[in-house]
Amino acid sequence: MITSKRVSLILLALAMVAMAVAHPLQLAAQAATPKSSSGRDSSGGVQWSVQVVQVDPGDVNLSPSFQIAIYESLLQELGKTKQFKQVLREGDRNATEVSDLLILKTTVQKYTAGSETRRAVTTVSGATKLTVRSQLCTRGGQVIVERTVDGNVRFLGSNLRATHNLARNVANTIKQSALPEPSLSVPAQGAQ
Amino acid sequence: MNRRIVPAEHTPHGYMPMPHRVWAYLILLIGCAVAALAQNASPPTNVTAPFSAQVTHLMGFEGAANNAGGTLSIQGSALQFQKNGKPAVEVSIASVQDVFAGDQSRQVGGLPMTLGKAATPFGGGRVVSLFAHKKYDTLTLEYVDANGGVHGAIFQLQKGQGGTLRDELVARGAHVRQSEDEATKQSTAEVSSDHK
Repeated sequence: MITSKRVSLILLALAMVAMAVAHPLQLAAQAATPKSSSGRDSSGGVQWSVQVVQVDPGDVNLSPSFQIAIYESLLQELGKTKQFKQVLREGDRNATEVSDLLILKTTVQKYTAGSETRRAVTTVSGATKLTVRSQLCTRGGQVIVERTVDGNVRFLGSNLRATHNLARNVANTIKQSALPEPSLSVPAQGAQ
Repeated sequence: MNRRIVPAEHTPHGYMPMPHRVWAYLILLIGCAVAALAQNASPPTNVTAPFSAQVTHLMGFEGAANNAGGTLSIQGSALQFQKNGKPAVEVSIASVQDVFAGDQSRQVGGLPMTLGKAATPFGGGRVVSLFAHKKYDTLTLEYVDANGGVHGAIFQLQKGQGGTLRDELVARGAHVRQSEDEATKQSTAEVSSDHK
């Protein structure tokens, strides 16, 4: 009886691990939809470039490591989507030469620190939760996409993993949003 | 006629001149030895020992893989990260715009530990979790590349090394935007809210 229970527990654990491994792979496969790198998307239209601005912590007491982790993860995840011709960093001087540029602003709205140990011990508490407002704007300040996005770690993983999940959700949200054609955009008024 | 042959150093009061000469030689010898040792032992006072530590690069350092273990060291005016057997990547310390030291705790043991915990019967894995976490220091850097683009990098160091490296970087010209007090508050806030 005890042996069968132990075997079933092991099987359950293996199934959970398999699901945890398979889920990111599935998302990565979705994100890797091929698009041309010549500045045109699959429909033949001109692609935007995007410049990611550093995360604004707002009124939330967010540690610098989280701010940096969100910023770097956003750059990584937006690059993976291949939706944009170029993904530029804040302050990059090359941005002044890019004509069709969108600026991604991220403001933290809610943050629950959580605890990896508490998650491991209790399973139901200790989740790390992040909620941000993401705005995709033109250089002129016109907001094209505005969404509130979450990134959580509920079971497995370190607290910083929440930033990775958040960035992946932001990238997916932007990918699913219908962006206007760059030619219809407001003329450039100077890079940020 | 019946003279005794007396050595030159010998005086009627004993052998005083001889011990004096020996003592003089000895003192001279000891003096020279001490001077030589002092010259060898004391390093130049204006050069500090370069920092070097085994760290885990969590993310952001350009050219280094995420979650890669390696050696983080200060080489002259550059901060260098080298994964074992791979070419080193480095940034100029002058390009560092901000440095933060914090700490966090992470589970040790990786996937085997996770599987082991899951396979432990009667919820024993939860008890293991209580003891399977280790505290680390983190060092967060903000630096700019040649194009002016802002980068952020996060390293995980052994407990106690984060502050040392931060101080070392600041001493060598890294910029710090926050005042010392604010940085301390920030670090403390992270510790209290992030006791994983």
